[in-house]
Amino acid sequence: MSIMQYNGGSVIAMVGKDCVAIASDLRLGVQSLSITSDFEKVFPVTDRLFIGLPGLATDVTTLREQFRYRVNMYTIKEEREIEPQTFAQLVSSTLYERRFGPYFIEPVIAGMQKTPAGGYAPFIAATDLIGCLNFAKDFVVAGTASEKLFGVAEGLWEPDMEAEDLFETISQTLLNAVDRDAFSGWGAVVHLITKDQVITRKLKGRMD
Amino acid sequence: MARRYDSRTTIFSPEGRLYQIEYAMEAISHAGTVLGVLAKDGIVLAAEKKVTGKLLDLSGAKEGGYGGSGEKIFLLNSNVVAGVAGITADANSLVNYAREAAQRHLYMYNEDIPVEMLAQRLCDLKQGYTQYGGLRPFGVSLLYAGYDPHYNFQLYHSDPSGNYSGWKATCIGANSGTAQSLLKQEYKEEISIEDAISLVLRVMSKTMDSTTLGSEKLEFATLTLDAEQRPKAKIYRPAEIDALLRKHDLAKKDEDAEMKS
Amino acid sequence: METAFGITGKGYVLIASDTTAVHSIVKVKTDVDKIKELSPFLLMATSGEPGDTVQFAEYIERNIRLYHIRNNFPLRPPSAASWIRRSLADSLRSRKPYSVNLLLGGYDVSTYKPHLYWMDYLGTLAEVPFAAHGYGSYFTLSLLDKYHDPEATVEEGLATLKRCIDEVSKRLVVSPDRFKVKIVDKDGVREIEV
Repeated sequence: MSIMQYNGGSVIAMVGKDCVAIASDLRLGVQSLSITSDFEKVFPVTDRLFIGLPGLATDVTTLREQFRYRVNMYTIKEEREIEPQTFAQLVSSTLYERRFGPYFIEPVIAGMQKTPAGGYAPFIAATDLIGCLNFAKDFVVAGTASEKLFGVAEGLWEPDMEAEDLFETISQTLLNAVDRDAFSGWGAVVHLITKDQVITRKLKGRMD
Repeated sequence: MARRYDSRTTIFSPEGRLYQIEYAMEAISHAGTVLGVLAKDGIVLAAEKKVTGKLLDLSGAKEGGYGGSGEKIFLLNSNVVAGVAGITADANSLVNYAREAAQRHLYMYNEDIPVEMLAQRLCDLKQGYTQYGGLRPFGVSLLYAGYDPHYNFQLYHSDPSGNYSGWKATCIGANSGTAQSLLKQEYKEEISIEDAISLVLRVMSKTMDSTTLGSEKLEFATLTLDAEQRPKAKIYRPAEIDALLRKHDLAKKDEDAEMKS
Repeated sequence: METAFGITGKGYVLIASDTTAVHSIVKVKTDVDKIKELSPFLLMATSGEPGDTVQFAEYIERNIRLYHIRNNFPLRPPSAASWIRRSLADSLRSRKPYSVNLLLGGYDVSTYKPHLYWMDYLGTLAEVPFAAHGYGSYFTLSLLDKYHDPEATVEEGLATLKRCIDEVSKRLVVSPDRFKVKIVDKDGVREIEV
């Protein structure tokens, strides 16, 4: 069994029309024994940027605290909030710093990126555990249910969904994928990000 | 006499005094006034700006940043705002140090730094410069307005020697003596934030040189709790300060503006 | 075999731990106190590699005490948990990691709320209503799923705890014969006879 599967957990992010969504399950386990059903893996970075950190739970907490520190120091020095694109590079270099003794996390990033024209464009990205960035235009997945997430998302996702449609699609994708995964599930949380607000909803899932 | 004992900070004079520190304090007594009042449901800070003029570019203060023009009042952490009096360059370096210390605490303990601990961090640094290396001390006094779950709302003052103390209401900078005696007369226990705001504005209008107050001479901030009982710092933007002054009937009258132009 | 569990109730946390010290196949002691009192409102039960548990627990205990002395107030339970977690996470990627699993029970005097944390040697931290470490966890977690009540009085909490102890004594192959139980609530930490 791989260390990436030790605690379980999955994250997915999707692009919609002028919105993005990021969602995760809530399970924390030790192999097949479940410990708690409120272990969040998705964290706010700014008002319109989130990061999901599926993988080894100790590194979830460690990286969450480290990213918070680095983003806060960036905000103080720059006197502005970090943009998703910039933050993705920060995530990548933080992980590559540990190239030969990595954090066992595969981050997923979702946010609204400022455009030169003054508007906002959806942004999602994912990296592997040593920080190789993958920018996607549709959706990105990671965690123990990633294969199943790919399958369901491939079937349900379509371009230019409105915010509420995107919410429904990402929720159904996640819930149905984690039901086929023994290490993910036990409820879910969805963050729906538009240019001027974030809607966070907790979903009930199968508790078995 | 003084000249023989004030060239280095580490040297006591025969009367047991450290002249460099006294000079630093003297520098602060000419700086813009900073005033803080502790209320039962929040804290108020106000500061007088000295660097003004119509050619000064204040576009940064109107948008972006944490609010304020970045001359007198700074957000040190999400639970602490500080007002500085003294040498601005020194103050900037202290503010950076404080912000970093607060973030280190957040990283280590996953909580906002307790207010007194943050004051202590800065005072340890300031004290060091009164003892080591033949450097000059920081020419800065600070007022810290903060909240933590241990002691709720707190107001601290620290001076260049590295001393600090807690206050219900206090003042640093020019005319601080006058302001303090006014505060002593008018401060009431269990004062509300609204009353504290009007007290601060009243005292400021009496101690500042100019007869009328305006956003170009004043910085203003409050620290309160939001609906989830988390500390919420608000550093007023120029337009908000003018609105506040109008509300308290202390604003510059239109005729004054016309007279000037 | 080593077993520790903790449960929260209305305004309190109960922590129970076995009291045996084992060397190879021999029980060398049956009155070991594995629940440290870190501060006036904080308890920590340790299990894992015998030398590491004592060494790590004392390191934590002294640093938490030092913080208390320096600042005149102790670390609040959530902050203490975060700091201890970081110590374990740093240790995990060091030359010789500590093999220590922990349960941390505390009462927050500024919010009047009890907190229970489950932590393992990797630095995994989770706040939970009830928790267990060791082989006993396979028996007691299912019991607690059924019987745990976050609003239970101390008497009710102790009765649930008793069920867990009895189940472990009955079903675990090499069951510990004694349990030490400590409580932390608004009056601080103290031991309870069961």
